[in-house]
Amino acid sequence: MKKLQIAALAVLVVAIVSFCLLEAGTLASLQSGLLGILSPITRSGGAVKKSISGIGKDLMTLEQLQKEYDRTLAENRRLRAENSGLRDLQTDNEHLRQVLGYRERSSFRLVPAAVLGHDAGAWWSTIKINRGSKDGIAADMPVITDRGLVGKTTAVSGDMSEVVLISDENCKVAAKVEGTKEQGISAGARDTAGELHLTFLSKLADLQPGQKVYTAGVSGGIFPSGLALGTVKSFHARELDGEAILEPTADLGDLEEVFVVTGAK
Amino acid sequence: MRQALLFIILLILLLVSVALQDLLPAIPIAQSRIQLLPIVFCFAMLALPLLPALYFALITALVQGLLVLQIQAGHSELGLTLPIVFFVSWAIVLQMSSEATHGMRWELHAAGCALVILTLLGGEFLVLCMKRGGFPLDVNIGLQILIPALAAPFIAPTLYFGLRGLVPFTPDAGPVASQPSFNR
Repeated sequence: MKKLQIAALAVLVVAIVSFCLLEAGTLASLQSGLLGILSPITRSGGAVKKSISGIGKDLMTLEQLQKEYDRTLAENRRLRAENSGLRDLQTDNEHLRQVLGYRERSSFRLVPAAVLGHDAGAWWSTIKINRGSKDGIAADMPVITDRGLVGKTTAVSGDMSEVVLISDENCKVAAKVEGTKEQGISAGARDTAGELHLTFLSKLADLQPGQKVYTAGVSGGIFPSGLALGTVKSFHARELDGEAILEPTADLGDLEEVFVVTGAK
Repeated sequence: MRQALLFIILLILLLVSVALQDLLPAIPIAQSRIQLLPIVFCFAMLALPLLPALYFALITALVQGLLVLQIQAGHSELGLTLPIVFFVSWAIVLQMSSEATHGMRWELHAAGCALVILTLLGGEFLVLCMKRGGFPLDVNIGLQILIPALAAPFIAPTLYFGLRGLVPFTPDAGPVASQPSFNR
């Protein structure tokens, strides 16, 4: 074997060992770097995909009318998303503000984003959106639609971000059930198609199908209180706690436009 | 020089495949997703000599590992070790298979893609079961593993001949392919 090949092999071995020993912080930086590299390809592909899927629409409507319709639709969704978050604030939180002296909360600052693609992996529920750190997005920001909570940002590059959906097993959300004092932790599962599992409920909880579930907004958490999360499909008591199966309020399988909550107004 | 050019072309295709597989819609059955990255990986393993193939396997492992990376409480759930071991192992196996069959063959590429996807998805599932606990294997999960693997042999030949066209100096483009040789 030539000396050059031996040297190349040695470099490869050193590289493999080095990558295996990387810590989480470095890996997160590398992940953001990879997103940055993939961003132009994904964004171009997303634009092509959108233009292809929009051909039929353009044939049916005037371009100007289409733009106006899109603008109005986006505005409408933004307002509905704000309303979704405000609904609960108008009731529970007003009372909490008075009693506990919580700082008055206002509506959210929302950054609209288009969904570029869904993760092709089988066991992770993530999407990529066309907004990044240049738009004020950072990791661990809530992502919503006009119908409710979608997930949170994880890896962020300059102009693209990855969002882990609430249907992912690793996206845990503190939640409360409407009309009750029941609170639990919601997360996805590997064995269900998009359903959420709300655990750590009381075994004696009297939950009925159709009851709405909202984010609880725990102190120090990522998700603000009052965002629609899902509706109860079923409830069963387990050995130590109660578990409810939820249908997500937002249609996670058909996301096109989302809003990133960058803070309060 | 030719090998370097081939390596760069395959590297670009690897990144394009990652972006493309995210853009493709899910297969209606069990919401399975088409996997393109392993198809490009398998082609590279068959087309490149051993050392560049190992480097390519390392890069593929980094890309795949970082794509599924999730940081939980300051710790990465999977890290890069398992993807590196997985892809380097498959690189060696595919290189040996290629030598055993006297060069690149589209049948080998198609079968390799199916096996790589099957073991990739199955392996990820098993690792997650060990990390997170539980073993929720059901029909839906079985289909999510099987369907992308079964779809791969149908996609692989298209990409194989397409890539061979893009890279006219691939080993089986000329008479070299018919000779048993280690100098691909």
